Amino acid sequence: MKPLSNLMKNIGKFYGDFKVNLYKNYGENPGKMLVHTGTLGWILSSLAQVTALVFNDKISSEQKSFLIPQEIADAGINILSFYLITNSFKNLASKMVSTGKLTTKSIQSYLQKNGLCSNGRVGKLDFNIEKLDDFKTGIKEKYQPFKESVDVVASTIGSVISCNLVTPVLRNIYASDRQKNAIAKMEIKEKSQIVHPRGITLNEYQKNAAFKLARNSTSLKI
Amino acid sequence: MIRSIKTTIFNSSCYKKAAEKAYKAQQRIFNALPDKCFKNTKFNDSFEKIGKEISSAENRLILGITALMSQPFIDGRNKNVDEKTRKVSVARTVAKIIAGTATGYLIRKGCIKAVKNWSKIPEPGTKIKKIEKFFTPRDVKSSDTDAYKQYHNAMGTITALIAMMITNFVIDAPLTKFLTNRFIGAQGGKNETSK
Repeated sequence: MKPLSNLMKNIGKFYGDFKVNLYKNYGENPGKMLVHTGTLGWILSSLAQVTALVFNDKISSEQKSFLIPQEIADAGINILSFYLITNSFKNLASKMVSTGKLTTKSIQSYLQKNGLCSNGRVGKLDFNIEKLDDFKTGIKEKYQPFKESVDVVASTIGSVISCNLVTPVLRNIYASDRQKNAIAKMEIKEKSQIVHPRGITLNEYQKNAAFKLARNSTSLKI
Repeated sequence: MIRSIKTTIFNSSCYKKAAEKAYKAQQRIFNALPDKCFKNTKFNDSFEKIGKEISSAENRLILGITALMSQPFIDGRNKNVDEKTRKVSVARTVAKIIAGTATGYLIRKGCIKAVKNWSKIPEPGTKIKKIEKFFTPRDVKSSDTDAYKQYHNAMGTITALIAMMITNFVIDAPLTKFLTNRFIGAQGGKNETSK
């Protein structure tokens, strides 16, 4: 009983810490949460889509030879492009806010009041409003909701661009290449399984079979 | 050993020059971006409201709607494959978007709501059911903050992702399969898919 109660205690502690970490990490950073959970979501969803395609008996094996690579390419590209593009959008937007390039009236007044606009620090990559001495008392209350909104909107725009524009184009290029290879392999396999009938020589039969294959195949067969 | 190598590299004049050049290049690109100050109070309020209201559920919905407006057209114009494959590809893409968006949105929304209901902070001197504080993190004093609302969204989304490990197979995938076959049937009859 003791090991079991210890295990339950550890699970309870882990879950408690997990909730606190989640609150601390994402409570003031919803954009980051969208990027991270979005990436995890794509991983799980891609797994289900590939499985469904493999077991769909209404799609022929030739079509599957295109669709399965398409799905795998879709998954890989989706996950990578989602993370890279969405994260870049979010980080860039975040940087624009924290360096004072993207502001609201109240943030700009605060920067002007502190003489930061005139000394040329605003807009420099090493400048960060959040690191100013009086940030918490001076502007945090107005700055934080604006930054969170910019992060969320930038993450959303980034995810739309990555998933709906970049991914479909890239995955089609990748999948059609894979399909060509798959068809070439299938044709080689088909050819190697040919058994010549009696009455003609093996050489004659192979010539006929090759002619038949060539006649039936189009530039791209699926 | 590794630390000393790192220190040597970072202190070398060659590295310092390269880092300075990289920083200057980054700064030049950053300077090319326009400065913008949002002065309209109404716009700022609406913008902040949008930021607060967009949870992962709304994000998934926006993604789904924009996907329907772009992906089928990209697949439909893919000249690398023949017409029959193109049709199957478009049907599957549309089916996948509809099934994925519907289940993704509803499950996320439901889980965020459940987390909200089950992460209450008890008032001093009052007692609440154990389930009502199942998702409540320790040391949080107030539930009436933006950070706590974002915590609901984050925890709800993670719970939804765990739920979707099952629903992806139970709802999403069969629904995609069903819709794909329906759309293929609508395009040109059953013969298109069942060989």
